[in-house]
Amino acid sequence: MNWPSVLDRRPFRENSFPSKLHDEQVAAILGCALGITFTVCFATGLYSHLAQNPPSWFELPSRPAGLYRVTQGLHVATGIASIPLLAAKLWTVYPKLFSWPPFESAAHLIARISLLPLIGGGLFMLFTGLANINLWYPWQFNFPVTHYWAAWLTMGALVVHIGAKFTTTRRVLSRKVSASAVPSAVDAVDAVDRRRFLATVFGTSALLTLFTVGQTFAPLRKLALLAPRRPDVGPQGFPVNRTARTAGVVETSQASDYRLTVTGRVRNELSLGLDELRALRQHSAVLPIACVEGWSTTQRWTGVRVRDLLAMAGASPDAEVRVESLQQHRSYRTSDLNPWQAHDPDTLLALLVNGEPLALDHGYPLRLIGPNRPGVMQTKWVTRLVVQ
Amino acid sequence: MSRDEAPSGVAFWIGAVVGIGIMVFGLRGIFINAGATQPVEFAKWFIGADLLHDLVIAPLVALVGVVVVRLLSRPWRGPVQAGLMATAIVVAVGWAPLHGYGRVTAIGNGTVQPLDYSTAVATVVGVIWALVLVWLAVIAVRRTRPV
Repeated sequence: MNWPSVLDRRPFRENSFPSKLHDEQVAAILGCALGITFTVCFATGLYSHLAQNPPSWFELPSRPAGLYRVTQGLHVATGIASIPLLAAKLWTVYPKLFSWPPFESAAHLIARISLLPLIGGGLFMLFTGLANINLWYPWQFNFPVTHYWAAWLTMGALVVHIGAKFTTTRRVLSRKVSASAVPSAVDAVDAVDRRRFLATVFGTSALLTLFTVGQTFAPLRKLALLAPRRPDVGPQGFPVNRTARTAGVVETSQASDYRLTVTGRVRNELSLGLDELRALRQHSAVLPIACVEGWSTTQRWTGVRVRDLLAMAGASPDAEVRVESLQQHRSYRTSDLNPWQAHDPDTLLALLVNGEPLALDHGYPLRLIGPNRPGVMQTKWVTRLVVQ
Repeated sequence: MSRDEAPSGVAFWIGAVVGIGIMVFGLRGIFINAGATQPVEFAKWFIGADLLHDLVIAPLVALVGVVVVRLLSRPWRGPVQAGLMATAIVVAVGWAPLHGYGRVTAIGNGTVQPLDYSTAVATVVGVIWALVLVWLAVIAVRRTRPV
């Protein structure tokens, strides 16, 4: 079989894909939408990465208190909303996979090669993100690290693609506006089909958002039928990420000789039992827990201000603090408070939530809760503050 | 649309230089953190996603499209295709909770995937097909109404 005869067959033959929806306008509109959603996902994901792994030049501010809740909620919601957009975009441009000749210039070759990381990356990012919020890990790599670096690879491919399609997209979208003046009968039918198709795609995105966003947007929590979490389900009425049993702290957290120590660069080391902590000045704050997996919940926390403990210990007012948990050997055993966070009046070592002692799974006897922090950095079962 | 338009111009070359630079940064990160990213495993999933789409999912979708076109006349196709597309995506999104994968990872944590997801996914799919039925009814009414 020689090449010309192969090219006469489907799917290489002209008009192998007769649907008028394999169309430049549809591709351009979906491409613009995906450009926006992927950029939002990338920016919010980058913010989350910086919050959890701050480089020397970045200090996460403690205000506004709910910022991380908004950015991470947006990250996950936008990712989910992108799924129908990407599916439709790939369907629309699928015939181009078989275009012949495969490239016509060096620029065309670069543009087509960059589609491999763009499509693979788009699918990879959405699939791994969706699996992660469901705590499903059918792969061997570390999710946060790989998702982060794959995001750069995907965004790089997206930038190449935007450059490659910039002229075409501008031409097609401006034609859409000008062509609406005197459409032929066939054009009118095609336009109706296009509108229906796009309405279906964007409608499916809206539907997915409606049935998942309740995991972070409380008024819609009863509609969160497809979300892996409900913000009102769990001990004391809200979810848990890691249980006391999984963390291996069931016994140590309930031991009668439990003490909190404040150590490191301090004038007076502190060692306080539970009764002594309860006897200190208590402060209440209404703060969200915002999980990196996209769910969040707001509760009223009561406990001792970290800055009061630092003052008692004679720590410097610009001190950074490492918060250590009773749990051993697992990731997120410790978290750091930068000076803004450590001295924020609402950064607490909480003993109570909504007036009740913390449930074991919520960090009994003592947990860190502070404004604008990822949930994994709201360390539970706290036993030590080390002033840096 | 089977012919892919060759790019050209300043916008393309700016995008290519900046984009390839970002891609190199990402690839460097993958390899520098090889202990965590497991480059071979990563490549399997990254390229595998491409191949799975191009060789399995897209042909299957095309096949379903052909069947719908053969079975239904033009006015009825749009709503049914829309319903099928939305259903497929909802089932894909609900796949992990339907199978309780998170509950296996977080044994003893009842707050992970706390619902009966068979009922939940069926409810969402029911909403989709209720909308499809309304759409079909509107088409039927319009066709029977005298012009």
